[in-house]
Parts: sequence; C-alpha cells; structure tokens
Amino acid sequence: MPDPRPLLLASDGDETQALARSLDADFAPLPDVEAPSTFEAWRDDVLADAPRERIVVAQWRPETPPRDLIDVDAAAWAAQFEAPYLLWNFALGAAGRRCADGGAVVAVCQAPAALDAPGRTPEFAIADGVLALVRSVAAAEGPRGVRANLVTTPIGLTGPNPIAPAPPLDGFPGTIESHVAGAVRSFLSRDAAGLTGRVLSADGGRSL
Amino acid sequence: MTQTGEERKTVVITGATGGVGRGIALACGEAGWRVWIAARREKEGREVAAEVDERGGQGRFVACDVGEAASAAAAIEAILDADGRLDGVVHNATSGLSPVPVTLAEVSLADFQDHVNVALRALHSLAHASFDALKASQGSFLLMTSEAGFEGKAKLSPYAGVKGAQRGFARALAREWGRDGVRVNSIAPLASTPAMERAFEMDPAMAERILGRNPLRRLGDSTEDIGRAARFLLSDDARYVTGHTLMVDGGSCPAV
Repeated sequence: MPDPRPLLLASDGDETQALARSLDADFAPLPDVEAPSTFEAWRDDVLADAPRERIVVAQWRPETPPRDLIDVDAAAWAAQFEAPYLLWNFALGAAGRRCADGGAVVAVCQAPAALDAPGRTPEFAIADGVLALVRSVAAAEGPRGVRANLVTTPIGLTGPNPIAPAPPLDGFPGTIESHVAGAVRSFLSRDAAGLTGRVLSADGGRSL
Repeated sequence: MTQTGEERKTVVITGATGGVGRGIALACGEAGWRVWIAARREKEGREVAAEVDERGGQGRFVACDVGEAASAAAAIEAILDADGRLDGVVHNATSGLSPVPVTLAEVSLADFQDHVNVALRALHSLAHASFDALKASQGSFLLMTSEAGFEGKAKLSPYAGVKGAQRGFARALAREWGRDGVRVNSIAPLASTPAMERAFEMDPAMAERILGRNPLRRLGDSTEDIGRAARFLLSDDARYVTGHTLMVDGGSCPAV
C-alpha cells in the first residue's frame, strides 16, 4: 500500500516549509532552479522511488517587485520565467507518473490576480502554463484514476498599491496556513474524487 | 476594404511560410496591407510574399529565427528601416516538436527548451523589439495560442504548457501596454494545416477525437476562417478589444 501521508516536492523556503507542516507532509526538495542540467537526473530519481498516493508540488520564488516587461531584459526573463517554468514541467511530470493508481496530485503555484497582472508578466505566464500542464497530467494519468488539480495564491506577488477595489475577504493575500493549505487538503481528499483539471484561486476573491 | 497609402497597415507574421501563418498573411494581403513574412526558410517565405501580392497586398520577406533573441530583434529593425512603421506583430511560429506525441514525464530538457524558446523567448524578444513602434502606431500584438493551452493534452503536454503560458503572457501584457494604447490579444485556432495533418498521421485516433466534438464538424480554413479573424484583431475594428483570447475553433474546445 502506498504511504497515505502527502509527499511535498517543493523548493525550500519558509512558505513551503509552512505548507509541509500544515499538510503533515514529507518534504522532498526540488532541484536548484538555476541548474536545469540537473532536472532530468532529479526526475529519474523521483520516478525510481515507490509510488505515493498523494503528491503536492510547490515551487516558490523569492519575492520581487513588479516590473513592466519592457524593463525585464533577456537575462531577467530567463531567470523569472524560463528556468522556473522548465522546472515546473519536470516536477509535474515526475509527480504525475509517480502518483499511485487512484491517487491525487496538487500543484501550488503563485499567481497574481488579473487586476494585479501589470508588472507580473513572467509570473502570469507561468501560472497559466502550469494550469495547462496540470490539465495535461490529469489527461495523461486519469485513466489510472489519478487526479491532478491546481491551487493558486498571490502570496509573494502583491505590490504596494493594489488596484481598487479591495478583495471581498479580509486578509489579502492570505497565508499558507489559513488560505492555501485548506484548498490543497480539499483537492487531496476523497471528497474531491470527481474533481480533476480544476483550479482554485485562494486569493480572497481578488480574481473575481 | 483594400487600403492604400497611409491607410495601409504594416504587419509582421512569424512562422508564415505555411499553415495558419500563411493564412493570416493572405488575409492581411486581401486588405491591401504590407505583410512581412518573418521566417528561416527564404524560398518558402518569398513564395508566400508573392501570394500576398496576388491578393492585393504587398508581401515582403525578412529572415528570422524567432527563437534567437538577436535574430528576432534584427528582423523588427529591418522592417522599421524599410517601412518606418509597424502596426501589428503576429507570433505564430511554434517548435517543430509541437506535433510529436510525448507525455510530460518523458520529455528531455533539450526538447522542453526548444518549445520554450520558440513560444515564449520569442515573445519576449518580439515584444521588446516592437514596443516603441507599436506605441507610435497604436498598434496590435497578436499571439497564436491553442485550445491545448486551455485544456492540456495527454500526449502533447509540452506544447499545451507553452500555449497556456502564452495566453497568460498576453493577458498580463495587455494590462501593461493598454496604458500606451497598444492592444494584446490571442487566437486559439483549429485549422487544417500541414502540422495538423502530421499530428493526425502520428496519432490516427486524433482526427476522430477532434472532429467528433466540433459542432461545425470541420477544421478551419487557414485564410478564410483563421486569417480573417486575426485580421480583425489587428485592425482598427478591434480597437477596444485587448487581453482577449478569441477561440476560432468551430466551437470545439469545451474548457473555455
């Protein structure tokens, strides 16, 4: 029987450690985002291990101020979009394949709400790309009963002056413990047995 | 609706030596626009440029390997040197690996990078190179994404991922560039193209899957269906449309 405890494949940091604690998950680090040459070997290692019933993937980026795309040069684009996006591909491919029959994969991705998109083109592109990748995993692994879903959060991507109106719920952009972990647990649970390829925006209603 | 003189728009289309890109070029030619075919293959590019002439436009060719930032920038610079203006940029080129069936757990780093370079690095390069010109012309930036970017694909996962990322890129950039009067939109087409035919050959069940859910029961024509929709988004008729993804797929995609 696969271990029912969630496995969290994640970049190391305060937020992902908080997520691991909230989910009572085993933590396994993603490879260094700045070393793409290691991604294939990392994936091979992940796939060599025993299947897990519940796998969460979370790549977290250091907080950066919003910057218009015209001010994001080629090197910054490679660092802010290309490298993390490539790592998402490997992480989700490995998670989906390693997940046990009938299991669940949940991705946790930082994503600004549309109103806060200016200055966040790399992050916005990653989030929409990750959604398509999650749905690809859902389609590829669904015949084995594996579900794949996405939770997005604006934590770490808010600017100093969000565009009005304020989100309907207080506490924007939320916390891992109070806003994100619950959405992840919902997708991991048997109560979500009929849900796959879906996205929950844990943003206090900011994306409405 | 043919335009001449100062009314004539100047647009550039990447990957326009065939398929949807060629269809957009011909549709823009029908409007009398000056159409730059930006591609690696000069012979095929000049042939499409000649077809644009035949449709009433002015076809031009500019060499461009759009996955290379310097090449994309040089192509835009060459167009501005020649015409002094640019009203529209269409990024249509995709990786040659796009129709190759593969799951996400099996893709090599090199193949992932090729998808990312042609789909996204090119967007970054084209946006940087063209922004000032588009701001001056109050022009339009158009991305050709895919229904795969909405719903994902079990066996075309890298392609689906970059198409989803392109859509996010367009939605965010529209909110940045709108301040300067530049519109950014996407089209998710479903067209009969050499790439689609190749994908059908590699996955014979794909044709039945695609057409079986299509209310119009046919693939789109690259010029008359997709090209003219693209021309609308590039035109002044769409001057209040930005941040939008137009599904030109015969109603096929249920994920929207």
